[in-house]
Amino acid sequence: MSSSTARPPLLEIANLNVQFHSRVETVHAVRGLSFTLGRERLGIVGESGSGKSLTGRAILDLVPLPGRVSADRMTFMGQDLLAMSAKQRGALRGAHMSMVMQDPKFSLNPVMTVGRQIAEAYRAHSKMSGRQAEEHALHALESVRIRDPRRVYNLYPHEVSGGMGQRIMIAMVLAAEPELLIADEPTSALDVTVQMQVLAILDDLVKERGMGLIFISHDLPLVGAFCDRVIVLYSGQVMETLEASELAQAKHPYTQGLLNCMPDLNRRDDALPVLKRDKAWLA
Amino acid sequence: MSEAAVNIDNLNVHFGGLHAVRDAHFSVRPGECYGIVGESGSGKSTILRAISGLNPTWTGTIEINGIQQTPHRPKSFYRTVQMVFQDPYSSLHPRHTIDRTLSEPISIFRLDRAEERVRSALERVGLRPSFRFRYPHQLSGGQRQRVAIARALILEPSILLLDEPTSALDVSIQAEVLNLLKELLVSSGLTMVLVSHNLAVVAHMCQRVAVMNGGSIVEETTADALRDGRVREDYTAQLLAATRSYDRAAARGLDPSD
Repeated sequence: MSSSTARPPLLEIANLNVQFHSRVETVHAVRGLSFTLGRERLGIVGESGSGKSLTGRAILDLVPLPGRVSADRMTFMGQDLLAMSAKQRGALRGAHMSMVMQDPKFSLNPVMTVGRQIAEAYRAHSKMSGRQAEEHALHALESVRIRDPRRVYNLYPHEVSGGMGQRIMIAMVLAAEPELLIADEPTSALDVTVQMQVLAILDDLVKERGMGLIFISHDLPLVGAFCDRVIVLYSGQVMETLEASELAQAKHPYTQGLLNCMPDLNRRDDALPVLKRDKAWLA
Repeated sequence: MSEAAVNIDNLNVHFGGLHAVRDAHFSVRPGECYGIVGESGSGKSTILRAISGLNPTWTGTIEINGIQQTPHRPKSFYRTVQMVFQDPYSSLHPRHTIDRTLSEPISIFRLDRAEERVRSALERVGLRPSFRFRYPHQLSGGQRQRVAIARALILEPSILLLDEPTSALDVSIQAEVLNLLKELLVSSGLTMVLVSHNLAVVAHMCQRVAVMNGGSIVEETTADALRDGRVREDYTAQLLAATRSYDRAAARGLDPSD
C-alpha cells in the first residue's frame, strides 16, 4: 500500500454546489459538499431529492441543463476538472470514470444484443478488431459471474432478468477499466439475494482492480454494511460523515432516523419511527 | 374452513407453458395480515391477481368468506375485496383529480353521500381534504400510495390485497405507509394479504408468512420464527441471510443463477 499513499487522492472535491435557476426561484440541489475519495468504497445516502444522484452526475459533468455546477476545487487523479473543457471531460468519462445507473431496462439499447453492446464499449475505448472485442466482451461477462457467457452474449436486454441486466451494465462499464465507478442505486430494483451478488461483484472490483467506488443509495443499513465510509445528505447538504463501522453511534437525528425507519428483523416494533426533517439543519 | 376470510387450496396458474403457481394452499383468518414473500417470478403476485379476479386462468379453489369463487367475479365481489398495487406512479389516472379517482367507485356502485365518503377515506389515510382537488403529479410518492389505499378503502371492503405496496418508495416514506397499514389493521379489523420481496417488511406486518420459490409455497412460517432464524428450508435461510445485511461470505454462497 506504500505506493498508493504517495499518489494524489483519486478524487478531491471542495465546496461543490449544484443550482437550478428558474425565473421564479433558485433550487439549491447540492450545497457545499466536500470529500476526498481514495481507492475505497464511499457511500452517499439520502432520500429522494437529497442531491445524491446530482453529486454523482456533477463529478461526471452530466448535470442536465439548466443546472449549474460550481466548486472551489475538483480534481481527479491530480487533474483539475474545473479547468477542463467539456470535450476533455467527455474523454475522461467512460474511460477513467464511469457510472452504473439504477435500472438496466432503461440504460441498455433494446434493439441490440447485450454482447454487441459490450463489444462496442471495448472498441470505443481502444483499437481492436471485432473478433477481439467479442472475446473481451465474453471475458467481461464471465468476470461478472455470468455462467454461460456465449448464450447471454446473443440475448437482447428484454430477455435477461434484472439482476443479469445490472451485471451486464457493470461488464460494459469495465470495458475501459475506469479508476472511479459511480454506482447510482445499482441494486434498488433487485431482489435481495441478487442484490447481494451484485454487491459482491462490485466489492471484488474495488479490491482486485484498486478502483474507487461511490455507492449512491437510500438504504443506509445496506450502505453501512457494504461501504467503508458514509456521507449522509439532506437537502443537498452533508449532515454527517461516518466510518461505516461507527454507524451505530451516529449522532445526527437524520442519520438515526434513516437507520431506524426501516423494519428490522432484529427488532420488534408496533410502529416504525418516522423520519423527522428540520430545515434548521441547513446552514 | 368456513371461518377463513380467504381460503386457497390446490391453486394452479399456467401461462402458456409456464407453470407460474403450483398447488398453492393457505388460509387467512378474518382480521389477520397474512404475508407472502419471494423473489421476482416466484408467483406471489400471480396468486394475488388470481384472488382479486384480475387473472381468470387458474384452477383450484379460491374461497372468500366461505364462498367459492369462479374466474368471473360479480360486481358485488369488489365491495368485499380490493387491491393496492406496487407503483403509485402508474396506478392512478394521471389526468383525473384525486376527487374523481375516489368518486369513481362510488358512482359505479351508486352509493349515497359521495362527498362524505371521499372526505372520510382521505382522513383515514392521513391526507387533508384539500388534496381532493390535486392531480397525482402534484403529490409525492408516499402521498400517491395513500391515495391508492384510500381508493381501495372507499368501498369499505373487508379484505385488502397489497401487492408490494412500499417497494417503489423511499425507506423513509415506506415507514409512513407501513404505519398507516398497521393502524388500519388494528383499528378497522380489515383482513390483509401482503405480498413483498422484503422479509423485514413482511415480518413487521404479518404474524404468519408463506415463503414462495419457483411457483410453490416452500414453507409456511411465522414472523417470530423468522426473527429467531428458525427456518426449515435452505431457501428461506438464504433469503433471511440476504435480508439481514451485506455479508461477503454469504454473498459468495449464493449461486448466481442465470
